[in-house]
Amino acid sequence: MSGNGTTPIIEVDGIATRFGRQIVHEEVSFAIEPGTVVALIGASGSGKTVLLKEIIRLLRPTAGRVRLFGEDIWSTDDERQLSRIKNRFGVLFQNGALFSALTVGENVALPLRESMRLPPELVRSVVELRLRLSGLDRDVAAKMPSELSGGMVKRAGLARALALEPELLFLDEPTSGLDSINARAFDSLVRTLSDSLGLTVVLSTHDLETLEGIVDRIIVLGERRVLADGTLSEVRSSDHPWIRSYFSSRSE
Amino acid sequence: MTRPQTHYLTVREEDGKVVLELRDTWRLASLEALAASVEGLCATRPVRNGKKVVLDGSRLEALDTAGAMTALSSVERCGGTLAEVSLTGFDDRHRRIAELVARRLGERGEIPLEPPRLDPLQRVGSVTLRGLRYFVRLVSFLGECLSGLASTMVRPATLRLKECAIQFERVCVDALGIVSLVMLLIGIVVAYLFAAQIEKYGANIFIVDGVSIAMARELSPIIVAIILAGRSGSAFAAQIGSMKLNEEVDAMRVLGLSPLRVLVLPRIVALVLAMPLLTFVGDVVGVLGGMVIADRYLDVSPATFTERLQFAFSTDHLFVGLSKAPVFALFIAVIGCLKGLTVENNTRSVGINTTATVVQSIVCVILLNAGFAVVFQELGI
Repeated sequence: MSGNGTTPIIEVDGIATRFGRQIVHEEVSFAIEPGTVVALIGASGSGKTVLLKEIIRLLRPTAGRVRLFGEDIWSTDDERQLSRIKNRFGVLFQNGALFSALTVGENVALPLRESMRLPPELVRSVVELRLRLSGLDRDVAAKMPSELSGGMVKRAGLARALALEPELLFLDEPTSGLDSINARAFDSLVRTLSDSLGLTVVLSTHDLETLEGIVDRIIVLGERRVLADGTLSEVRSSDHPWIRSYFSSRSE
Repeated sequence: MTRPQTHYLTVREEDGKVVLELRDTWRLASLEALAASVEGLCATRPVRNGKKVVLDGSRLEALDTAGAMTALSSVERCGGTLAEVSLTGFDDRHRRIAELVARRLGERGEIPLEPPRLDPLQRVGSVTLRGLRYFVRLVSFLGECLSGLASTMVRPATLRLKECAIQFERVCVDALGIVSLVMLLIGIVVAYLFAAQIEKYGANIFIVDGVSIAMARELSPIIVAIILAGRSGSAFAAQIGSMKLNEEVDAMRVLGLSPLRVLVLPRIVALVLAMPLLTFVGDVVGVLGGMVIADRYLDVSPATFTERLQFAFSTDHLFVGLSKAPVFALFIAVIGCLKGLTVENNTRSVGINTTATVVQSIVCVILLNAGFAVVFQELGI
């Protein structure tokens, strides 16, 4: 996947993570090119979510460097530089993490209202656009998050993540808790957005159909390191026992 | 032919088609200026229906979805439709963005971001109805709890003793410190108040009657109830509410456990037992506080104080206070548990219900106390 002169949008360099005496990662390194859809897979407890949190600057790694858009995010505490970086990526949390006190529309409008001054009617039309891009009807905007189904919560979370036109999207288990029809629809939505908008997407998943359907590249985490890294067929042909049982247990 | 121009957008007509040429960067960051250009264009240009509208992106430097939306809105302003718009000169990336947005946007309309506002009359009505419904719910829940307690008395084995003991420790043993401190201070303050008045008549010894009766009949039950409403009632609502939110209450029902038996009754039993005990502690500590003040400011020695106490303080006063305590406890526990069980499926609801528990419990305790005062007065106790 490397090459043709483009600089990686994400560089993870020698990440190590320890919680007390428990070692989660020892030496995790990879780089991600713009415009690709990359999946992080691994057994439960292999530190996928932890790694995502370290990349989006929610959790400080014990050692190692993370560069987003070429900037080392852990070496600076400059609020303005960080918020500039943060406005360039969006995150969909595992359970949506919609603010329960706000309507769906207000949730999507929040990043717009916080980081730029726009007249209300423009905010409204951008919110509608975001909801439409995420495959939601506009009447969802007036609903409270508690009134939404699981699939709609994910879509609303995606709409909020897309609010500021990010170049980079992080999805933590985007299809968990969705039925397979909804999960496939969500997958194709992600792929469409990535193809049309040139979005780079990093997702953690357990869903084999997502891997087969929309992913350009797979990074397998396990045994505290990267076990395999490549396209689906390259990873599938790996002879690591966990990877073999992962694919054989699910595809048959 | 008119040729209105702005920095971002120019219009020309070619072969009976309206061509909108986009220039520069069309991005979210400059959305306001873009929207203004589209507005300005439409103000100077009469809308003519029936003409084909073409978007020309050959001089476009950057485009994102918000920019594409604004560009497409200019098409609609010129009388075109999103379904029939044709794009020329866009590079691949921009064309894909514009096509995606055109496809997804469809017809536009106003979307309400806030929940609809009710007019004042509707609000009064909806608040009243909600209050009435809640009252009915509270009474029926009280009934459920009492019938649950009654059936537990018939078959004591169904009472979850371990849970009762845990709750009792939390609501009673752990509250001893705060209750003693508060009641000691209340006793001292009340004694000061009496001392200042009684001294004028030289009726120093009556400090004993005043402090002991006030503490036992009114102050101790009320203040202990208020402390427990804030301390335990709110905790009941928060604990049960977060369990409800985490679907633990549903899991219990599915496993054949009754939340009433597992969660509610132990808490009620624990609080009903704890309240009289804590009230008694409050009585004793409060009178001790009064004794200290009597000794220091009124020359009533502790020995004289106790002697007078035996003579002046009939146990009726004590029992009046102690008989109110379990009733207060019942209502505090029932309100707390009901508020916990009626938490809605969002995190904010836990906070709202916890606050409501404290407010309603305290109001309820004060109302009940007023009722008791009337009843005891009429009975002459």
